[in-house]
Amino acid sequence: MKSSNFTAATIRTSVLAIGLALGFSNGVHAQAKPPIKIAAIVPLSGAGAFDGQLGLEGMQAMAEIINAKGGILGGRKIELITYDDKGLPEEGVSATKRAIEQDKVDAVVGGWFSAVALVMKEATRDTMLNFMTSAQHPDVTNKGHKYMFRVNATSTMMSDKYSKFICEKIKPKSVAFITVNDDYGRLEVENYTRLLSACGIAVKGNEFYNRNDTDFTTVLTKLRSLQPDAIYVSAINTAQGATIYRQIKQTGFKGTTIASAGNMNPKLIELSGSSLENVYSVSLFAPDLKNPTADQWQAQYQKMFKNQPAFIGSLGAQSVELIAAAMDKAGDAHDYNKVSTVLKGQKWKTLLGEMSFDDKGQALQNLYLIQVRKGKIVKVD
Amino acid sequence: MPLPLDLKGATLDFILLGQQLANGIANGMGYVLIAVGLTLVFGVLRIVNFAHGAFYMLGGYFTYFAVQSFGVHYLLAVAIAAFLAGMCGLIANQFFFRPLRKEHEFIILLSSLGLSILLTNGSELLFGADPKYIESGFADATLDIGPVTVTQQRLLIFVLATMALAFVYWFIRRTRYGKMMQATAQHPEGAALTGINTNFVHAYTFVLACALAGLSGALVGPTAMMFPTVGDWAVLKGFTVVVIGGLGSISGACIGGLLLGIAEALGGGYISQGFAEAIGYVLIVVVLIWRPQGMFGISRGHKS
Repeated sequence: MKSSNFTAATIRTSVLAIGLALGFSNGVHAQAKPPIKIAAIVPLSGAGAFDGQLGLEGMQAMAEIINAKGGILGGRKIELITYDDKGLPEEGVSATKRAIEQDKVDAVVGGWFSAVALVMKEATRDTMLNFMTSAQHPDVTNKGHKYMFRVNATSTMMSDKYSKFICEKIKPKSVAFITVNDDYGRLEVENYTRLLSACGIAVKGNEFYNRNDTDFTTVLTKLRSLQPDAIYVSAINTAQGATIYRQIKQTGFKGTTIASAGNMNPKLIELSGSSLENVYSVSLFAPDLKNPTADQWQAQYQKMFKNQPAFIGSLGAQSVELIAAAMDKAGDAHDYNKVSTVLKGQKWKTLLGEMSFDDKGQALQNLYLIQVRKGKIVKVD
Repeated sequence: MPLPLDLKGATLDFILLGQQLANGIANGMGYVLIAVGLTLVFGVLRIVNFAHGAFYMLGGYFTYFAVQSFGVHYLLAVAIAAFLAGMCGLIANQFFFRPLRKEHEFIILLSSLGLSILLTNGSELLFGADPKYIESGFADATLDIGPVTVTQQRLLIFVLATMALAFVYWFIRRTRYGKMMQATAQHPEGAALTGINTNFVHAYTFVLACALAGLSGALVGPTAMMFPTVGDWAVLKGFTVVVIGGLGSISGACIGGLLLGIAEALGGGYISQGFAEAIGYVLIVVVLIWRPQGMFGISRGHKS
C-alpha cells in the first residue's frame, strides 16, 4: 500500500512539475510581445505571379531589417501573413476580408494592380490601415478613405513627367499605343493621347490587348501598318511585357519603342533580350540611388533571395518601412486615426528617398527617368 | 507614274491582309498541335483530359532546361522535351487514368483537373514562378516571304507541326498499332473481344498525346514566355479547337485549329483584340448550333 501510494505520489508530482514547467515556458512565451501582423496580399498565381513574388520579397527583406533592429513598439516584431489575390479583384477582396476577420491583422498591404486595388479599398474603408503599392490609377486615393495610403505615383503624375520628356527629348513625329485592356490601360491612353497631342505628336492609333494574351503579333502588325515613329507599350506584368517587346522587333518594326512608366525591372530586361536596349521609362527606384536604407535593403534582399531587387519590391519594402515607423511614432498599432495623422504629418526618409503624403494618402515621391543601357537600369539626368 | 490614291490604298490593305493571314496560320498551326493530342485522348480513351495543358507547359520547361542547363541545341531539346513529356504521360496514365478506367467519366475528368493542379503547382515549386524565356535562335530571326514577314520560329512550327501530323496520320492509318487505336476508339468492348489489349492501346495513345502536347510547348514556347500557369491557356485553346472540330476527330482538330487562328488574326486585326479573345467562343456557339457534335465530330461508334 505504502509503495503504491508512493508511486502514485511520485507520478502526480512529476506530472505537476512537468505541467508547471510547460506552463511557465508558455507563460514566458506569452510574456514576449505579440507581433505586428501585416497582411501581404499579392498575386502569387496567374499572369502576375512573378511581379507578386518580387513585391513580397521586397516586403520580407524590409521586415527582416526592422526585426533585426528589435522591431517596434518595445520589441514587437513584424510578421507578414501572405495571401494570394491571383491578380483578380474578387480574390483581393476575399483575401482582405479573411485577413481582417479571421487573422486579425494590424495592417493590409496590397493592390499591386489597379483593377484589384480599386475594389479592395472598399473592403478596408475606414476600418483598416491599407497601403496600396504599385497600383497607379488615381481613384485609389482620389476615391480612397481616411486609412488609405498609396506609395506609387499615380499614372497621371507619371504621365505628366514622362510626356514632357517624350515631347522634349525623344521627339517622335507620331506614336501608336499598345495597352492592356483594364482601368489602368484605359487611363494611360487617355492621358498620353491628350498630353502628346498637345506638343504636336500625331497619335496614330491604340490597340488594347487582354490580360491573358500570349501572342501580340496580330495587334502589332496592325500598329506597324499605321507606320508610327514610335510605339508606346503599356504593359503591367513582366511576362507579357517581355513578349510584347520581343514581338515588336519580330514584326519588323524599325522605329522607337517607349516603355510605360513604372514597369521596368531586371527580369523584364533579362527576358526581353536586346529588344529593351536603349529604351526609356520612368521609375521611383533605380539600383544606383545612393541612399543608406536603399543599400541596406538591396544587400538584405540579395542575401535572402535569388531575384534581383526591383522597383516593385521597393514599393512593398517602403510600405512596410512606413507602417512600422508610423506605428512606432504613434505609439499604437491599432489607433488608425493616430497612425494616419502621423503618416500625413511629416516628411519621411525612406529607401526611395525623402517623401511625404498628401491629405488623400497619396505619396509624393521622386520620379526618375531611367534607360536600359547594356542590360542595366540607369538613371538619366 | 504615281498610283491613284485609292488603288495604292487597296494595295496596302492587301499586304496587311496577307500579313494577318500569315499570322493567323502560324498561330493556328500551334493550336492544331495542341488540339490533336487532346482529341486523340478523347477519341481512344474517352477521357476529357484537363491536364493536357500541363504537358504543354512541361514540354516548354524541359526544352528550357535542356538548352539552358545542358547546352543542348534547341532542335535536339525539342525532341528530348517531346519524349520526356510522353514519358510523363505514361506515368500519369499508370497512376491516374488506368486505375480509374472503370469509373464514371466525370470522376476521370475531375481527376484530370486534379492532375493539372498538381503539375502546375509542382512546377511552380520546382521551377519558380518567374517567367522563363526559351532561347531558340529561330525566335527573333525573321524571314520575308514576298511582302509578308514571319519569324523563323513560326515557320519552324508550321514545318514541324506538319511533319508531326503526317507521322500521326501514317501511324494511325498504316500501322498495326494505329489500327488497334482505331478499333478501340470505334468500339472498346468489341476491340477487346478481338484480342486487342486495350490497356496497352490506352497507354501508348496517351504517351503519343502527351508527346504532342510537349512538342507544341517546345515549339510554341519560344514565341512568348514560359511560366507554370501557361498550361491553362494552352488547354483552353485546345478545347476550343476540339469542340469546334469535333471531339475525337483529328481532321477536325486540324481544320478547327487553322480556322481559329485565322479568325482570331482577322478579328483582332480588323476589329479589336478583345474581339479576338471572344471569337473562339463565338465560333463554338456557331458550330454547335449548326452541328452539335462539332464539324467532324464522332457520334458514338464512328471515327472520321
